[in-house]
Amino acid sequence: MYRYDEFDHQMVADRVEQFRGQVARRVAGEITEDAFKPLRLMNGVYLQLHAYMLRVAIPYGTLSSKQMHMLAHIARKYDRGYSHFTTRQNIQYNWPALDRIPDLLEELASVEMHAIQTSGNCIRNVTSDQYAGAVADEIEDPRIISEIIRQWSTFHPEFTYLPRKFKIAVTGHKNDRAAIKLHDIGIVIVKNDAGEIGYEVHVGGGQGRTPFIAKKMSDFVPAAQLLAYLEAVMRVYNMLGRRDNSYKARIKILVHETGEEEMRRLVEEEFAKIDATQMLTVPQAEIDRITAYFADPDFDASLPADSAALAEARQADKAFDHWVNTNVVDHKKDGYAIVNISLKPIGGVPGDATDAQIDAVAELAKTYSFDEVRVTHEQNLTLPHVKRDDLKAVYDVLAANQLATPNISMISDAIACPGLDYCDLANARSIPLAQEISNRFQDLERQYDIGELKVKISGCINACGHHHVGHIGVLGVDKKGTEFYQISLGGSADENASLGDITGRAFTEDTIVDAIETLVTSYIDMRQDDERFIDTYRRVGMQPFKERLYAE
Amino acid sequence: MAQHSAKGARFQAVTANRLTDGEVVYFTADGQWAENFTAAEVVEGAEAADALFARATPADFESRVLGAYLFEVLEDGAAGYKPASVRENIRAKGPTIRLDLGKQAAI
Amino acid sequence: MRSNRQLIIDAQAADNIWNYLDEDAGLDDTPSIISLDRLEAESDSLRQRNAPLGVIIRAGEKQGEDIHRVAPFLDMLQVVALEFPIYRNGRSFSSARILRQELCFAGEIRATGDVLHDQWQAMARCGINAFEIDAKISLDEFTQALGELSDAYQPAADQQRGILWRRHGL
Repeated sequence: MYRYDEFDHQMVADRVEQFRGQVARRVAGEITEDAFKPLRLMNGVYLQLHAYMLRVAIPYGTLSSKQMHMLAHIARKYDRGYSHFTTRQNIQYNWPALDRIPDLLEELASVEMHAIQTSGNCIRNVTSDQYAGAVADEIEDPRIISEIIRQWSTFHPEFTYLPRKFKIAVTGHKNDRAAIKLHDIGIVIVKNDAGEIGYEVHVGGGQGRTPFIAKKMSDFVPAAQLLAYLEAVMRVYNMLGRRDNSYKARIKILVHETGEEEMRRLVEEEFAKIDATQMLTVPQAEIDRITAYFADPDFDASLPADSAALAEARQADKAFDHWVNTNVVDHKKDGYAIVNISLKPIGGVPGDATDAQIDAVAELAKTYSFDEVRVTHEQNLTLPHVKRDDLKAVYDVLAANQLATPNISMISDAIACPGLDYCDLANARSIPLAQEISNRFQDLERQYDIGELKVKISGCINACGHHHVGHIGVLGVDKKGTEFYQISLGGSADENASLGDITGRAFTEDTIVDAIETLVTSYIDMRQDDERFIDTYRRVGMQPFKERLYAE
Repeated sequence: MAQHSAKGARFQAVTANRLTDGEVVYFTADGQWAENFTAAEVVEGAEAADALFARATPADFESRVLGAYLFEVLEDGAAGYKPASVRENIRAKGPTIRLDLGKQAAI
Repeated sequence: MRSNRQLIIDAQAADNIWNYLDEDAGLDDTPSIISLDRLEAESDSLRQRNAPLGVIIRAGEKQGEDIHRVAPFLDMLQVVALEFPIYRNGRSFSSARILRQELCFAGEIRATGDVLHDQWQAMARCGINAFEIDAKISLDEFTQALGELSDAYQPAADQQRGILWRRHGL
């Protein structure tokens, strides 16, 4: 994975000192909260219901064991002993004190981490595929260009005060695990007929109040020209994006209101100007330097495809066998596997982990996964390169730390935003609903029968729980002081991206889980062959589900 | 911010978050910011509410707190008052899914 | 310029010799900053006027067009003032770069409006070299702010190629 050079270290150190000065000026009353707020946001510091919240960046979701150990240490020293992994591959702390955050950031800097641009109207964390570098049939490791984009977008002087936040995602695989079509800019790595790497660029996706699937702006931007192209998109957005209404300020609205054709023309016109200067042509030497950091680790090439030890362990331990079925995915190399760690224990808080759990995963990464761990968009973790021979040993440690729930992509692997239990923006609580669904459907056999079912819960219209792209999406709303829950069906964040359709009348706290149960049994009644929930929905449509949902 | 409606509210108090550590605080009758909801000064009627808010937010109030606002409270028998909204109840106590965290843990 | 402001040009304290003129104010020989509408309407007579001239570009929705509307007149102008109506409106950062880099304007690009400490360095990198800032700010504070981030990853209107290139001696 990428390692900072002296320049990277200096940039982060400068930023820590700058923020330390800004905090000092705020505390001394030399700047107003109004002027301080954008500065603290650009350093990932929110004000939430109970306390400040700090969002630490995890670039394209990749961490070393040393970094994981530091995250655990931060939770102990500056927070309440736990943390939360987010739907953008970042990590959030819910209780840091403002006047200690500069020290916290200094400690993070010592392990090449930061909270730069994790909030505010600037370019945010570039997210990517949690299986990068581990999965077969990858066109190129998406983290290479993600790292280049990260550097280009950091402290970009022109794009620090955009109309609104800006999110970029990259996938290097035909199966999109990075939800690129739901991002302001989504990039798909492709190869042309000459075998050259290039980028398919999509613009204007997003969820929130007005969800949109991104429009493809370019089929193929050559690698060396990608930054020039991105700069063109950003400049068009910075100039033309609406600033009169913050609910209409994202680029998705600009694309929608301008029209795809005209938007493309504007971008191409600006791109031509920028490209002509050659100032943003990425040097091959830099591409090569960064590529080297993402080379394959030292895989043992002598391993057979199948592991006798694994087969034996699966025979002997039914729980382990289930876990392998649901949580382990094929690796590109014989003898290896990708391990998904569920942060959705039955009845637990989705995406939360204690300091001890984070330390345990760090050790597993170091011992069994070439010192690498990933954060997913679905509030889980991934160990990318585990020998099949080692799966049982890894499982035993996970099980001992309540990290071995065998439910990846099952109904109990729901996403929930922090919601009204934590968040200043929320209208309803989301975590308790995820817990109730998890408890109701905890029976493993039942979950396996149901199969893949992605439930996503948001506590307000900002959609941080990604409910628009849930197979079953739930939006918490507030009606006259009471929490209600609105259901949508048929959303999907992958390469067949779709936005969910609202079923109708919202449900109360008391009836929402029954409603979900009704949807599940409807699906089981109607499904054909190997259809997943989403497949059945796409075949039969809303009507049959709606009828059963609202039947008296 | 959501659920801030104090429109038509009869009883109101002022809350904010402490600048240094973000702790939820309530404006008291003697001009302090207290951590406990029970110490909040409660007033009746819109005029009194505006006056309370003005008292709570003098020119230099941002040196102590941020995000100050009025919120509705309801009479609660012997306990005095309680916050009206789900949100303010959660702020007064802590996250409902972690009873070991927030103000409720101290109780 | 407001009375509680001072002017910094090229990192030095400067006397403000410029007046912002209202639409209907008469033009004399003193250095004057006028609106783009007025510049366009009176450009012929302004070409005859042998005195320093500047324009102010507002940061509204039309700023993108305005930057290109002003292009044919840049040879007449010593100053282009860019408005920052509120700190979160960052349109003028792009305008500054377009003026410097695309239109090759060599005169003074001035930031006016909400021009705050934590933006000066980014403004300077985008090609702004004159700043109307609060009169109470010391030149030391201003100079220090310009160097808070000691390096940059990406090129902008300043001469910096950016770390991505400089790592390789480019």
